[in-house]
Amino acid sequence: MRLKLHLIYILLLTGLFGRSVWTPQASAYLLPEKKWEIGLFQPFRYGFSEKINYSIHPILFFIMPNLSVKILHQNGKMFSSATQHGFYYPTRLLKILQTGVQVGDKTASLIAPGFKIPHMLGFSSEYILTKPYKTGTLSLHSGVNFGLVFGDLDTRTSIDLPLVYHRLGVFYNKYGLDAGIDFSKNITDATSYSFDLDLKFLPGFSGSYSFEHKFLLHWQKSKRTRFSIGYKYVYGNFPYGKQSRLLPYLPLVESWVPMFDVQWVGFRKK
Amino acid sequence: MCRRIFLVGFYFLVMSCESFVSDFEQEAMEADIYESKNISHVEPTNKPKVVTWNIRFGSKRLPWFGDSCGDDVIMKKKDVESNLLEIASAINEINPDIVLLQEVDISSKRSGYINQIQYLLDNTNMNYGCYASIWKADFVPTNGLGKINMGNAILSKYNLKEAERIGLALRTDQSDLVKYFYLRRNILKVKIDDLGLYVVNIHATAFATDSTKQIHIDKYLEVLSKISDGGYSFVTGGDLNSLPPGASKYDFCDFDGCDSERFHIFDEKGKETHKEASYFDNFTGELEILEPLYLRYASAIDVDVMNSPDHFTHAPSTSEERWGIKYDRKLDYLFTNGPGGWISDSARTYQELWRLSDHTPVSGILTMSED
Repeated sequence: MRLKLHLIYILLLTGLFGRSVWTPQASAYLLPEKKWEIGLFQPFRYGFSEKINYSIHPILFFIMPNLSVKILHQNGKMFSSATQHGFYYPTRLLKILQTGVQVGDKTASLIAPGFKIPHMLGFSSEYILTKPYKTGTLSLHSGVNFGLVFGDLDTRTSIDLPLVYHRLGVFYNKYGLDAGIDFSKNITDATSYSFDLDLKFLPGFSGSYSFEHKFLLHWQKSKRTRFSIGYKYVYGNFPYGKQSRLLPYLPLVESWVPMFDVQWVGFRKK
Repeated sequence: MCRRIFLVGFYFLVMSCESFVSDFEQEAMEADIYESKNISHVEPTNKPKVVTWNIRFGSKRLPWFGDSCGDDVIMKKKDVESNLLEIASAINEINPDIVLLQEVDISSKRSGYINQIQYLLDNTNMNYGCYASIWKADFVPTNGLGKINMGNAILSKYNLKEAERIGLALRTDQSDLVKYFYLRRNILKVKIDDLGLYVVNIHATAFATDSTKQIHIDKYLEVLSKISDGGYSFVTGGDLNSLPPGASKYDFCDFDGCDSERFHIFDEKGKETHKEASYFDNFTGELEILEPLYLRYASAIDVDVMNSPDHFTHAPSTSEERWGIKYDRKLDYLFTNGPGGWISDSARTYQELWRLSDHTPVSGILTMSED
């Protein structure tokens, strides 16, 4: 059970299954007031008002407290703009991943024992611009991330894996920049696709950038349920050089599997 | 146009699907070749000096969790560089023509991702190198070890040709999960035309409690026989993780065992327990496993002194601080089938270098002619 829980933590940590708490929502559009949305591996989003959305990751919240707020600035026919601001506290999650799990007489963990994991707070701020076209909806986003560390964080605690390394890198580098493009289009009334390209940049850091690309097909099964399937591709510079990966990847079966998610939506009664 | 874009994209994606752990499925494959950034011309000699040394990934006597009674996992890069500089100085002082290295890291988190082959080539008077990985994985989760690429290497003053990685059998005494992330041992073979010589480097299994070690030595003998049968000379050696025939002590469990470990008790199957890599009588014939090598080929360290404490090459890295033992067994060897064999009394075991690894180097000088 503990091993399974760890695997879930790792999956959530890598954000393989969608945009996680530390990356912005795809577009500047907000959920309507009182509407909520949640996915198996996605944060809980809630339309607090016509101008403000909140989101938290409920599964991760108890081991990595997090909150993000999206604020709509302009909602026009030509384009819409919003900003998103968030924080997260990864210390407890990282300590759990450092403790690891016992497999036979060995300990499996993502961080070597013996290093102190200090208190850390991550902040992110993004600007999102969305423009509708006949062919679909295009969004651009860019932003800055800050990592506050209260104590000494040994660089040897880094988790040098695609998706994780450049997200946690902000705590070693103090700050990072990111930018990206998202595009989505309806195929039929019930089906659509979306893809994105994201750049994460940690100036001066050993292994300073990563590109991520995601492609998803969506099926709106009902008003309340949506299925998504697709893949994620990562290319980045790491302390050991450049590496590219198609993810998620299941090493024990020597193949990658498509990401899959189910989302539910609903309205809070007024 | 669309089709071309699709094909390029598809190729790009497929090429990115590397496996998480390299299993080196092919029995034989080309090994990687390296060059020093400062190549100096060296005239061929008919008395090449050969060294074998397990350098323990530049960790010196670090109490590393995997092979000693310690907890350390990942070293600081500057410590690794300082350790490698000492190893490079020792190699320069010995001044060999050929160096057989075991446990060389080329891209491992534990050793600061330093390419140790390139580092040693650039900081010694060796010009060329080849490498065959034993352990290559994007992430080894054991104690958060992370990315690893460790293997065997051969350095030489002379140009290298036909570098080949020959895979060795996997252990059969591990669970599938552990085996997946575990070592893929090999024999590294290369040809030096300038000396008319093959060089063969092996790091045989240490921790197997089954008969995998016998399979490794049998394969090693097969590779050497093929070279001999082809009419070629070779010099070979490495860390065979086996004792010389007739060694007086073959059970090191009590000295190597850590404080919390207990051995020589009977498990639920009624089998006596031993510490992996510290007991050398796991199967019938293990005590004499190296006898065929001594019978067929010339050993650098003479048979008369092979069991002398002066030629012990290894003790676990924490043995000195726990017991005052720097070396208490011989695991490292050099052999040749060359017509001239070794120059008598040329062989040395550099026990004074015990601080630089948990193995000491062994050297010998070949004579390339019969007279």
